[in-house]
Amino acid sequence: MNVFKREMRANRKALIIWSIGVILMIASSMGKYAGLSASGQSINDLLAEMPQSLKAVMGMGTFDLTMAIGYFGVLFIYLAMMATIHSAMLGANIISKEERDKTAEFLFSKPISRNRIISSKLLASFVNILILNLVTFVSSILMVQKYSKGEAVLGDITRLILGMFILQLIFLFIGTVIAAVCKHPKTAPTLAAGILLITFMLSIGIDLNNRLEKLKYLTPFKYFDAKNLISSQGFEPVYMILSVLLIAVLLSATYVFYKHRDLNV
Amino acid sequence: MNVIEINNLTKNYGKERGIIDVSFNVEEKEIFGFIGPNGAGKSTTLRTLLALIYPTSGSAKIFGKDCIKYGPEIKKEIGYLPSEVFYYDKMKVIDLLKYSASFYKKDCSKRISELADAMDLNLNKKIDDLSFGNKKKVGIVQGLLHEPKLIILDEPTSGLDPLMQQKFFELLQEENKKGATILFSSHILGEVQRMCNRVAIIKEGRIIQLEKISALQENNYKKIRVQTTVKLDENYFNIDGVSNLVVSQNMISFLFKGNINTIMKKISEIEIINVWVEEPDLEEIFLHFYEKGA
Repeated sequence: MNVFKREMRANRKALIIWSIGVILMIASSMGKYAGLSASGQSINDLLAEMPQSLKAVMGMGTFDLTMAIGYFGVLFIYLAMMATIHSAMLGANIISKEERDKTAEFLFSKPISRNRIISSKLLASFVNILILNLVTFVSSILMVQKYSKGEAVLGDITRLILGMFILQLIFLFIGTVIAAVCKHPKTAPTLAAGILLITFMLSIGIDLNNRLEKLKYLTPFKYFDAKNLISSQGFEPVYMILSVLLIAVLLSATYVFYKHRDLNV
Repeated sequence: MNVIEINNLTKNYGKERGIIDVSFNVEEKEIFGFIGPNGAGKSTTLRTLLALIYPTSGSAKIFGKDCIKYGPEIKKEIGYLPSEVFYYDKMKVIDLLKYSASFYKKDCSKRISELADAMDLNLNKKIDDLSFGNKKKVGIVQGLLHEPKLIILDEPTSGLDPLMQQKFFELLQEENKKGATILFSSHILGEVQRMCNRVAIIKEGRIIQLEKISALQENNYKKIRVQTTVKLDENYFNIDGVSNLVVSQNMISFLFKGNINTIMKKISEIEIINVWVEEPDLEEIFLHFYEKGA
C-alpha cells in the first residue's frame, strides 16, 4: 500500500496538468463547433470539396460535422492521442524511474517482492488513467450536450470513451513492458513514445491508402475507430478479443521480464 | 552459526567480469570486512546478496535461506546502505525515513529521532538540498532504523568527515553489541583493521585472501624509506620479508613483512639521514598479492 500511495502522490501534479489539458481541449474545440454549426449545411458542402487524403490526415473521415457528435468524433482521435501519450509515458516512467533516479537500491532492498512493487505501481497507474478517462468522459458529456440541441449523445460518447479507456490500458502496458525489458531506464519512455507514434501514423496511413487495410490489426488505434463506434456498428468482437489478448500478454510480460532481470544499479 | 554463506558465487555482466567463484561465510555477531580496490567486485557481491542482481552461478544463503528465493522475507532483518545514496529528491528527510519505515511492520519513530540526533541530521530539510555527506547520513539512519539483525554497508564512510566516521563506528559497535552482524566493504585498510574481526580481500573479482584481522596484523606490512649519507650496496636490504625494493642514489624504499625488530636493527647499523616507516596503502599490498599470484 505504501508504494501505491507514494506513486499516487508522485503522479498527482502531472495528472492535474493532463486533466486541465483535456478539459481545455474539449472546451475550446466544442466552442469552435458553436461557430461552425451556425454556418449550417455549408460546412459539409465545403468538406465535400476537400480531397479525401486531406480529410484523412485531419481525422475528419466521413463525419457529419453539422452534428455535435460528428464533430466530437473528429475531436475524439486527438483526445485518444493525448490520453494514450499520457498512458504510455506513465507506464514507461513508473517502472523505469527507480533505476533512472537511482532509488532502486533503496526500494528493492526493502522486504517487498518485485511482483508486489510492480502490482502497486500498476494499480497506481490504473487509477491515474481511470481518473483522466473520467475527466474526459464528464467534460465531453457536458460540452457536447451543451451544443447538441437535443441529439441523444450519451450512448455514443460512452462508447467512444470506453474505447479510449481500452486504448489507454493497451498503451499503459506497452509502456510498462518496455520499461520491464529495457536495461537502460532512460530509453524506455522514448521507445514507448516511438511505438505510439508509429501506430498512430499507421492508423492514418490506413485511412489514406486502402491497400494498407490488412495492417489494421497492427495498430490499436484502428480497434476503436470513432466512425464505427458512433454508427450502429459499435464495438467489433474481433477487436475486443484482440484487445483483451494484447492486454493480458503485455501485463504478464511486464511481471515476467521485470522479475527475472538484473536491476540497473 | 553463519548468518551469510556464500558458495562459489559467480556473476558476469554479459562478457564483462563481475565476480568469479566467491565463497566466504560471515558468522553471527561478527563484524566482517570486505576490502578491495575500486571495481574489484565488492558492490556486485553485496548487490547479489540483496537480490538486486542475480548470480550467473553459485548461491548465497542469509539466515540459512537462499537470498534470491526468500529475498523479501530475509530482507525484513537486513539493513542496507548502498555505496552511492540517492533518494526521492522532492521528499523531506523525515518523509523518506517514514517511507522507509513503512516497509517494516514496526514503529520506528523513536529510533529515527535517536539516530538523527546521534548523526546530527536535520529531519526537516529537503533531500535535494543536502550535501553528499548529509545524504550519506540519511542512508545510515535509513539502514539502521528497523534495528536489523544483519547490517550490510557498501563503503559507508566515504563522504563522512572524520568526526562523523567516529560517531558512525560507535553506532555500529553499539549495534554489534546488541547482537547485530555487520558486513561492510571498504577500500581503506585502516578502518577495516580497526573495526573487523575478519576480512576477505577481493581483487579482480576473486577472493584472494580470507583471514582474521589478528593474522593480518601479524603479517603487518610496513612501507619503509631510508635516506642514507653514502650510497649503499644495492643488496644491503635484500633480506627475507623485503619486497618492492627500489634503490636510487641515497634513497631506498621497500615493503617489509615480518618481525619489525629485524629491520630496525638493520637500519641502525648504517648511517642514515632520515627514515620513514608508514602503513602501506591497500594498493601496495594488492600489488604484492598480485605479484605472488603471477
